[in-house]
Amino acid sequence: MTLAVESVRVDLATLVGSSQVLTDSAARAALAVDGKVPDCVVTPATAEKAAAVLRYAGEHQLAVIPWGNGTKISMGNPPRRYDLALSLRELNRVIHYEPADLTISVEAGMTFGEFQDLVGRSGLWLPLDPRGGVESSIGGIIAANAAGPLRQGFGGPRDMVLGLKIATTDGKVVKTGGRVVKNVAGYDLGKLLTGSFGTLGVIVEASLKLFPKPPERATFAMRAGTLGVARDLHRSIRRSPLDPLRLVLLDSPAAALLGDSTAVPEATGVELWIELGGSNRVIERCMLELRQLAAAVRATMARLEGAEEAWAHVSNLAYWLQPKYRDLTVLKAALPVAAGEEFLSRAQQEAQAERITLASFAQVGVGIVHLCALEEDVARTSFVSPQRVPDGQGKAADLQNRSALQSLVARLRQAARDLGGTLVVEHCPVDLKSQVDVWGACGDDLEAMRKMKSAWDPNEVLSPGRFVGGI
Amino acid sequence: MKSKGLFRELARIVDEDGVLWRPEDLMLYEYDALSSQRQPDAVAFPRKTEHVVQIAKLALRYNLPLVARGAGTGLSGGSVATEGGILLVFSRMKQILEIDLENQRARVQPGVVNLDLSLAVADEGYYYAPDPSSQKACTIGGNVAENSGGPHTLAYGVTTNHVLGLEVVLPDGEVIHTGARHWDRPGYDLTGVFVGSEGTLGIVTEATVRLSRKPEAVKTLLAIYNQVVDATRTVAAITARGITPAALEMMDGFTLRAVEEATHAGYPMDCAAVLLIEVEGLREAVEEHADEIEAVCRENQAREVRRAKSAEERDLLWKGRKTAFGALGRISPNYYVQDGVIPRTRLPEMLDFIGNIEKKYDLHIGNIFHAGDGNLHPLIMYDERNREQTACVIKAAKEIIMRCVEMGGSITGEHGVGFEKSDLMPLIFSEDDLELMSRIKNLFNPLGRLNPGKLLPTGKMCGELRGGTAGGGPV
Repeated sequence: MTLAVESVRVDLATLVGSSQVLTDSAARAALAVDGKVPDCVVTPATAEKAAAVLRYAGEHQLAVIPWGNGTKISMGNPPRRYDLALSLRELNRVIHYEPADLTISVEAGMTFGEFQDLVGRSGLWLPLDPRGGVESSIGGIIAANAAGPLRQGFGGPRDMVLGLKIATTDGKVVKTGGRVVKNVAGYDLGKLLTGSFGTLGVIVEASLKLFPKPPERATFAMRAGTLGVARDLHRSIRRSPLDPLRLVLLDSPAAALLGDSTAVPEATGVELWIELGGSNRVIERCMLELRQLAAAVRATMARLEGAEEAWAHVSNLAYWLQPKYRDLTVLKAALPVAAGEEFLSRAQQEAQAERITLASFAQVGVGIVHLCALEEDVARTSFVSPQRVPDGQGKAADLQNRSALQSLVARLRQAARDLGGTLVVEHCPVDLKSQVDVWGACGDDLEAMRKMKSAWDPNEVLSPGRFVGGI
Repeated sequence: MKSKGLFRELARIVDEDGVLWRPEDLMLYEYDALSSQRQPDAVAFPRKTEHVVQIAKLALRYNLPLVARGAGTGLSGGSVATEGGILLVFSRMKQILEIDLENQRARVQPGVVNLDLSLAVADEGYYYAPDPSSQKACTIGGNVAENSGGPHTLAYGVTTNHVLGLEVVLPDGEVIHTGARHWDRPGYDLTGVFVGSEGTLGIVTEATVRLSRKPEAVKTLLAIYNQVVDATRTVAAITARGITPAALEMMDGFTLRAVEEATHAGYPMDCAAVLLIEVEGLREAVEEHADEIEAVCRENQAREVRRAKSAEERDLLWKGRKTAFGALGRISPNYYVQDGVIPRTRLPEMLDFIGNIEKKYDLHIGNIFHAGDGNLHPLIMYDERNREQTACVIKAAKEIIMRCVEMGGSITGEHGVGFEKSDLMPLIFSEDDLELMSRIKNLFNPLGRLNPGKLLPTGKMCGELRGGTAGGGPV
């Protein structure tokens, strides 16, 4: 440890208590970001102490990355600087909860699992299935505006945040919004912070809107066979009175992967999975409706038992697939809803040109398409049966593979742009990040975003370089 | 009075018939649905974004306030040029630029009337969800500025949940495009900040909004009560059953009688309160929920629960609700409407409190609530010529809003802060919170000439309530 680091440690210990500052290498390595290891890990016990740490960092030109549980930390460009990891784990209290009001205020470090357990006791839930699942923290979900396939039925965190408390780099704890479900007093800074990836302020408390859980849920797999049939089916579902909770289109490799690792029977072609909620009577009606729609395009349909695990994988692709594919790259295209299938077919062409196998998980109802680039050697077999490839035995990617990936990102980004969308690299080997900007190009509002950054964080204390346009 | 040069320059941009400057013309623009304030120096009617850009630059050169206005139906003074300057009126930018049903999107100019957008896509089975009661007149641009709500926001969210992207002219004339036509565009959610910023950060010249599918079935219930408290208890009981109605409105007997006399919608004349409840969705789900809601109403002593038998009956009930303000305007020379929000479980308590205030100040207060989300619209009746009574109204209103704040609520649920409530902001925000908001305002509006005196406290009359005087706009 250098003298400088030791003096920082001593100062921080004065601010937050010495047991709350760690400098041992294991603690630091655990909170590395894109291979950069921080000098100190600080775990403040209160929001005010978190703010004090930020102020200190600003005064001493230290860079801070806020941490919940790290389930989404691989999103973003590599930090330009990284001195302190600010862990919010100890901020995990319930501040206010009145089930009958369908609102709750909790500290940001509370895990999503703990949160859902708590509100679930009153038959409520926060209808999100974010990357990171139950391990995510509430603050992290908001900072990443992390929505999974449930966005189809309920929208994303943006639509559920009623108010936030935010620790700012000038050492204050400020509030935006409130606790009630309807409120237009003041600028809606909750929207600004949602999806700001820890670059403006640190979310320390959130007030959220809760929802009653549907009494029953059921998942149906519609075996479409081809992308064209799947598109027709998806269109007819959109025109039907059905209001799905989740909808995902799986291409063959994706369907095979899911079939391989869950209780769900394996399929060989393109599938459309749909989850519906309501009373048994409502679900019966939906099933009849679906059966007709499927028959019209000659797709078969089956109700899936135990689909929950499969849905958890779909919302958590990076975590699920990383152990199998060391150099896993997950791309996320966001598109106008009607463009989903066309993008998929372009993606398949581009991937073939680069000799990369993609498994596609497309939330076509909301225009979000996740493409998982699997390793070369897996690519050659995965169309048939990825389960034959033993875990972890894929070849280390060579340089050629990297440049193929880089070129694939560029081509797919262009494809997304052509269709009026964007493409983000959500997860990839760190060395690829030195070659591509994970966020892609910005629009004519970049200058306004930069101004926004400078108003909140003039000294670039928070997550410098991780966000769009070098913010 | 400003120089002739200003008018000449404005006319050069928007043509002579696009500028008003005679006092008798400007009089029409000195008020909104809150109250009458002062005249702008000039009114300009832009026809395209470029006009707004040029006028912004002109306002900058003349160092004049620049205020955007849709239909002037706002209830917080947001679209009145309280410090004079140029009023930009968007009634000539009212084109629906694009309807894209495949993607459930529409791109509109700010002057498009809220209901016109829904009507334009109705035949195809779509609509635009936010439905302020003034939807026949109010504009999308105004809705975006105020982040407007409406009865059906209970299930579907307010304006901000339906706006995907904006074209904004900043005060220096720069044009930026925020958001996208799809979810999750990388970068800060500037759209979310501009929506509800009440014209103090930029001027919206185009909005991309989400269109919703009409539900398969709708059922409208009218639950009639002999005691107000039973109606308010029903509200929390419905949500406790895990049902989120599309709308859940409450009107008290005083309001109802005025409404019934004005609209003959079929509301009972002899009850203490009604709940107007709507459930939407799949036929089977709607039937189940309607039955359950009816049971909950009866458990809470509803004397009768009616169901609208036809679309006409439903429309009539809603017409009664949406014109309630006007109906009360028939029986009182003036009224002052509030927009406080409380947690919905506190409704019974709040109704009691308002009843006591009524007695204490010897006033009539009509209660129209978006009960499902705890958004209160108490209407305090008065006659502005009676100065003593007017003073009581101000005191009564202040006590009600303070009570909302004490209950953990807000000073405004959907009408906006505007000029009316800017100095109430310290009731719910700390100095640090407000300082941050003004820092953000200064980023976009450094000279403060864009809609001055709105949203943030002016510090002139801290904690004072600025009552309205006119009234009549629907809510």
